[in-house]
Amino acid sequence: MKITRRNFSLTGGALSLSFLLNGGIIHLSPAQAKERALPYQTLTPGQAALIDLLGDAIVPGAKSAGLSYYIDHQLSAEFQDNLLILRYLRVPAPFDGFYASSLAAFESAISQKYNKKPRDLTETEMTAFITAMMQSNPDGWQHAPPAPFFYFVLRSDAIDVTYGTMDAFDSLDIPYMAHIEPGHTWEVNP
Amino acid sequence: MTISPEKIDVVIVGSGAAGSLMAAKLSQAGKKVLILEAGPERKLQDLTSSQIHARRLKWAGDAVTEQGAQPVGNGFNSGYGTGGSALHHYGVWPRLHSEDFKVKSLFGKGLDWPINYGDLQPYYDRIQQEVGISGDHQAEVWRPDGAAYPLPPVPAFQQSEIIARGFTKLGKTTSPLPMALNSHEYNDRPGCLWDGWCDAGCPTKALANPLAVYLPEADKQGAKIIHQATVSRILTDKSGKKATGVTYRTAAGDEVTQLAGMVVLAAFAIQTPRLLLNSGLANRSGLVGSYIMSHSAASVFGLFEDETAPYMGPTGGQMLNQDSYDHKDQRPQGFGSYQWMIGLAVKPNDLLGIGGSNPGLFGAKLTDFMKTAAQHFGNMTACVEDLPLAQNRVTLSTETDQYGLPLATVHHSADAASMALWQGALEEGKQIFKAADAREIWTGPLGPMHIMGGTIMGETAETSVTNSYGQCHDIDNLFIAGPGLFPTSGGVNPTFTVHALALRSTDYMLKNWSSLT
Ligand SMILES: Cc1cc2nc3c(=O)[nH]c(=O)nc-3n(C[C@H](O)[C@H](O)[C@H](O)COP(=O)(O)OP(=O)(O)OC[C@H]3O[C@@H](n4cnc5c(N)ncnc54)[C@H](O)[C@@H]3O)c2cc1C
Ligand code: SF4
Repeated sequence: MKITRRNFSLTGGALSLSFLLNGGIIHLSPAQAKERALPYQTLTPGQAALIDLLGDAIVPGAKSAGLSYYIDHQLSAEFQDNLLILRYLRVPAPFDGFYASSLAAFESAISQKYNKKPRDLTETEMTAFITAMMQSNPDGWQHAPPAPFFYFVLRSDAIDVTYGTMDAFDSLDIPYMAHIEPGHTWEVNP
Repeated sequence: MTISPEKIDVVIVGSGAAGSLMAAKLSQAGKKVLILEAGPERKLQDLTSSQIHARRLKWAGDAVTEQGAQPVGNGFNSGYGTGGSALHHYGVWPRLHSEDFKVKSLFGKGLDWPINYGDLQPYYDRIQQEVGISGDHQAEVWRPDGAAYPLPPVPAFQQSEIIARGFTKLGKTTSPLPMALNSHEYNDRPGCLWDGWCDAGCPTKALANPLAVYLPEADKQGAKIIHQATVSRILTDKSGKKATGVTYRTAAGDEVTQLAGMVVLAAFAIQTPRLLLNSGLANRSGLVGSYIMSHSAASVFGLFEDETAPYMGPTGGQMLNQDSYDHKDQRPQGFGSYQWMIGLAVKPNDLLGIGGSNPGLFGAKLTDFMKTAAQHFGNMTACVEDLPLAQNRVTLSTETDQYGLPLATVHHSADAASMALWQGALEEGKQIFKAADAREIWTGPLGPMHIMGGTIMGETAETSVTNSYGQCHDIDNLFIAGPGLFPTSGGVNPTFTVHALALRSTDYMLKNWSSLT
């Protein structure tokens, strides 16, 4: 399965990502992209796994909502169409370096503190680490944006995918009341 | 370089709040008007109801570097494309108060405006009739003189009613929030549906954004708009005392000269001074770029026993309190004015959403919080005055755009008295929430809200960039419109005043057209 081009869906919904796949454009939600295990465009598989691991620990549900696909997709969008919260936050585009350097710092700080890979942390260790990174740079966190800022950004991205969709509103018993609904996900063009 | 063959009466830079009003008024008077808008074309049907999609409406033009202890937040506070920031503004439209115009003479701080409230009052009255503000002028016991609002107030949903109990218990007053949105149908625009999607841009025209009111009128009168046309310089004749037009870049990068009898800069508080500085114009005072201001948002959040339906209502809020407005020198701490906007409608995500309000929560605690807060959340925000300081300014960066034109740098560090006022507002807010029986109370970090100043109006060419009509002191046919003209910020949202000032300017231009051009 080869993805030759990814485009930002201008007509599709907030969380509809479009993929050119086997000669046709498909629109998938990040969660559907995750289910199909589509390859990433900008992130490496390792970076995507770290995003999902940390994002899901901060906002439970973010991984299955397709957090890594969402971020990956946004990283290949033009700044003008980019929907990442980062565009509010005085970080100059392009944003891939922001995530890459923060994830590398995350991995090296975990290694320094626990001598483990992030995926091998216990729940208690992960909770302690997140509590620490929220306040200041943990030891070994270097060559990256400040840890509390990365926490804030990743948490916001994770909240977007987990709680910003029509289904998520529904699960919180919040009526969506759209004037113009974000487009729905599953659509195949010839 | 291409020269557009047609000389027009007036070229307006920017299609936001100020530019769209001026285009409508000048074209109604028979002038040939062209708006040049840096951003893309946006239509009502592009305004998807989603906090994530809403981000596409934000500034995506030339990069702005921000410095200082309290940066102005250009990425959040500026829009781009048809309608500018105003396309997704929340329509909270209170008036400035008399004191706001005379801060220097009354209190020895800040600056004075070259006009007073009485000069602007008729324009506030005309605009509110034209645009349709919903409110209750009698319940707004603090409001300066003026006509009654043309529309009944926005309703109070549970959230604001519950918070209002706290104000009442502490002997404070609340009123409906004056809003430039229709509580019921008005001027062929429908009533609001109270769904809280204003931040994504209201596509129904219930909210008076430029696509709902002044751009359609400008279009009807024959005004033209070119999108993805970024103005880079203002042109003058050899004397330097008369503007002759502008140059702009098209999306393809071509440079076009547009000649015009009158030039209006309505490119908001950062890009307008950048344009003047890059053109080397209207800066005898050395103050182009100076006195940039931004209100500080003091946000108070709480969870209540009762269900609050926090998703209901307009994004900007439902109720108002201005007890801490007049007598700027009589606050318990700090100096200035602020108002509370009570019961802002929230969504689960985004910076101003439920999740964003409490960034220290993660994991299972966040999941629980989201479930509870979805039904029991309450919030209010104070719009806190920012004293004008000359050193808070837009300057040209050493970095340039792709065509070699210097970019803008904005420095903003608030005065200690403004910071103390913000802190005082937070303290008051917590007491109010306590009195309203919130079972949990927390506050947000300082957030910048609205950008003003940078091309201030004043009495003389030595102390300001323009006169009270936004006319540059040195160049009779070069006008500035927008909140960049404000010498002080007051503690209210700026856009009603932006409209009133722009209407006053167009009256003046039209009355003096032949001598100005
Ligand atoms: C989220 C949000 C909520 C807000 N809510 C409220 C509220 O409730 N009440 C209130 O009073 N105010 C509110 N505001 C503020 C309000 O939007 C602004 O005060 C108002 O829009 C300023 O009007 P303006 O015409 O000066 O600028 P804008 O409306 O921003 O328009 C300026 C336009 O100029 C264009 N431009 C810039 N540079 C160039 C160039 N070189 N060439 C061509 N075009 C250029 C921009 O792309 C933009 O379209 C809010 C703002 C935001 C962002
Ligand atoms: S709440 Fe009202 S003003 Fe806001 S988007 Fe909905 S209809 Fe428009």
